[in-house]
Amino acid sequence: MRNVALTKENVAKAVFIAFAAFSILAVFAIVFFLLYQSIPAFRQIGFFNFLFGTTWAPKNESLPVAERFGIFPMIVGSVALTITSVALGGVLAIFTAVFVVYYCPKKLKPVFHQLINLLAGIPSIVYGYFGLTFLMPLMVKIFHIPQAYGLLSATLILSLMLVPTVASITKNSLESVPMNYYEGALALGCSKNQTVFKVCLPAAKNGILAAIILGVGRAVGETMAVQFLVGSGDNYPALFLPFRTMTSSIVLEMGYADDALHKPALVAIGFILLLFILVINLCLAAVKRNDSISGNKLFNRKVKESRGAISKFSWHKTGSAQDILCILSYCIAALVAVMLLFVVGFVLIKGVGGLTWNFLFGKSGNAQVTLAPAFVSTGMVILLALLIALPFGIGAAIFLSEYAKKGSRFVKIINLFIDTLSGVPSVVFGLFGMVFFGNILGIGTNLLNGSLTLSLIVLPTVIRSTEQSLTEVPDSMREASYALGASKVRTIFVVVLPQALSGIITSVILSIGRIVSESAALIYTAGAVAYMPQGYFSRGATLSVMMWFFNSADGIADAQAKCFATAAILILCVLILNILVTVIEKTFRKRSNR
Amino acid sequence: MKAIEKFEINGEYALTVENMNLWYGSFQALKGICMNFPKNNLTAMIGPSGCGKSTLIKSLNRMNDLVEGCRITGTIKVGDTDIYDKKCDLPRLRKNVGMVFQRPNPLAMSVYENIAYGPKTFGIKNRSMLDEIVERSLKGAAMWEEVKDRLNKSALGLSGGQQQRLCIARALSVEPQVLLMDEPTSALDPISTGKIEELCLELKKSMTVIMVTHNMQQAFRIADKTAYFLLGEMIEMADTSVIFSHPRDKRTDDYINGRFG
Repeated sequence: MRNVALTKENVAKAVFIAFAAFSILAVFAIVFFLLYQSIPAFRQIGFFNFLFGTTWAPKNESLPVAERFGIFPMIVGSVALTITSVALGGVLAIFTAVFVVYYCPKKLKPVFHQLINLLAGIPSIVYGYFGLTFLMPLMVKIFHIPQAYGLLSATLILSLMLVPTVASITKNSLESVPMNYYEGALALGCSKNQTVFKVCLPAAKNGILAAIILGVGRAVGETMAVQFLVGSGDNYPALFLPFRTMTSSIVLEMGYADDALHKPALVAIGFILLLFILVINLCLAAVKRNDSISGNKLFNRKVKESRGAISKFSWHKTGSAQDILCILSYCIAALVAVMLLFVVGFVLIKGVGGLTWNFLFGKSGNAQVTLAPAFVSTGMVILLALLIALPFGIGAAIFLSEYAKKGSRFVKIINLFIDTLSGVPSVVFGLFGMVFFGNILGIGTNLLNGSLTLSLIVLPTVIRSTEQSLTEVPDSMREASYALGASKVRTIFVVVLPQALSGIITSVILSIGRIVSESAALIYTAGAVAYMPQGYFSRGATLSVMMWFFNSADGIADAQAKCFATAAILILCVLILNILVTVIEKTFRKRSNR
Repeated sequence: MKAIEKFEINGEYALTVENMNLWYGSFQALKGICMNFPKNNLTAMIGPSGCGKSTLIKSLNRMNDLVEGCRITGTIKVGDTDIYDKKCDLPRLRKNVGMVFQRPNPLAMSVYENIAYGPKTFGIKNRSMLDEIVERSLKGAAMWEEVKDRLNKSALGLSGGQQQRLCIARALSVEPQVLLMDEPTSALDPISTGKIEELCLELKKSMTVIMVTHNMQQAFRIADKTAYFLLGEMIEMADTSVIFSHPRDKRTDDYINGRFG
């Protein structure tokens, strides 16, 4: 009996380790299979010709020119767009975060918090469509130009999209600056503005740097919004000139690419993109590693500086620069809130009119395209993706919080890979799903493939959210259970895991949000079709993919109205999910306080 | 399923510690501890913070196993059984040597489920048996009357003192032979403390109680024997009245008379 029990403990531990190590496997699989499918392209084109070639010209029946595959302009496009939008978005986000943490009236704080969460959840395709239908016509009018595709439109929208992500991380690291820094500076006679901008902000610089790097990763990998706004042209990026990024080329051309060389070349772009992301992730890990509060260093430097000039005291009032920064942060926060609310309002107003019963639930086919299949498809992929991701994610979280030795090398590696997985852009996941699940495993393009791909995408979310709430369970409860002679497995499943329920439910909702807003990863794994799925082996388009479908397919009546209506539904979904998260967090907090 | 046996305790002592050393990593927290805990007695361990008394009590049911880098030499026996022997069954040890912690740590379940958790761990599923155990344990912890009407309410809603007695009841539910208490009243007010002290005096009639306390008056009030610890060593152990009136060692004298700590 004892031996059996012992084995049961060990088997459980082995299973949890396996679940945790799965992220490592997933990252390696993504790198390996993308490389594997890119090799034909690299071999025929030549790696350096591919990377530094300046012409991208896939085979074209009407133009009798030789195929050329050089992606240098795309790389420049991606890099340029990333730099401009992270610069703009970063400034907006940091000032917004400063406002929320230090200047925001107490009553407004939760409103801003909710707003940031809501906007982080809005699908990128919705932002892109907003840019396409509102921003670009506006620019044409203002600047008297024939068209507005180009760096400026893309930068404006992309920087707006980066604000929620960068702002929420900046906000967290500002909030973790010790209160005594703030008090200490005030006690020296600093004004509030000086304290905020000269003491608190520098003290949080590591966290802010991490936020910016994360923003870089998101900007490089952003696909659906960007493809609407950069157009497609063989140009180097300029304010009003259509150009390409790596991501936009993949998603725009994959649909009609031939298998000979064009498709491998597109996968190869994905591989290069992945390399970019891996480097960015390593930078992020390096920044996180020395995530100490750097205020002391700053203080030491200031002391040294002042010692040199110690003889010539001249007391006078300073701090006007910081006062300006303070006003700036009020303005920027207001601007950001207004712009983001405008996006939501614009889409909702434009879209609500199109929400007819027939459009939502009518029969969809060649005669008319409705959203009914999209609801079913979305539900199906949510169900299956979660069924796969939850056991893996919860298992990994249990390993990380209950078994792992804190700070051991194995755990560090697992954490690095989980973070890497969460940084992989969805278009790369889409390529991997297409290549691995679709071709190599032979599943093909259908909802099963889409669900498998999505389960990889949401896995890091499930792991982190569950792990977070597991670590919040006090150790004293584990001790109580062990002291009664209970085994580790019993302790975990009966005492610890039920307490982490709120985290698991939150992770489910966050995952649903991520799945609903996903499109780049689904178009070429689950397909973009208008008919009702018959099961997991038929193609199906989720709501977000339908927006892409309406916009890109030919012969759809009232395509724009349908796009807006779908976008409105998506925003409503995100809104509902956000409310759910808040409600759940509140209920569980109340329960644990009782 | 094989029944969990009690330990055979034939001699005068329920628990014996022989030449025990304990390290946390490279830091030696306990040095050459030798002591005997008499059966059906209440033994108190006193000493300044960091002297190793809590470390020792946690070694007695191997809760120190959970601490990374903890290493032990020497022997600890319950009756005649070496608890650090490879063949010693951990669930059996912890069932028979129960523990109450410094801070009340009820599980996030109902009062009833808190008490039933231990018996369920050892395979008791019959509802009427569980009912009986819950009632007996709560009566044993002198709180049946207080909570009998709210057995299905969350245990987290009880007051601190009630929570601690619930934890004692929970420890009693698996019928331990030895009860270890690690500063059980340090987080409680004087009234709750009084109740727990009364309870301890009741408990020692049927089991051996070992208690770590910061409160010398508490040791004086309820302990049969008292042991004084300093810097990882057991300085002296004797009948409580002797320790408090004629300590052999000057260091004990200093501590008890407030010249130290």
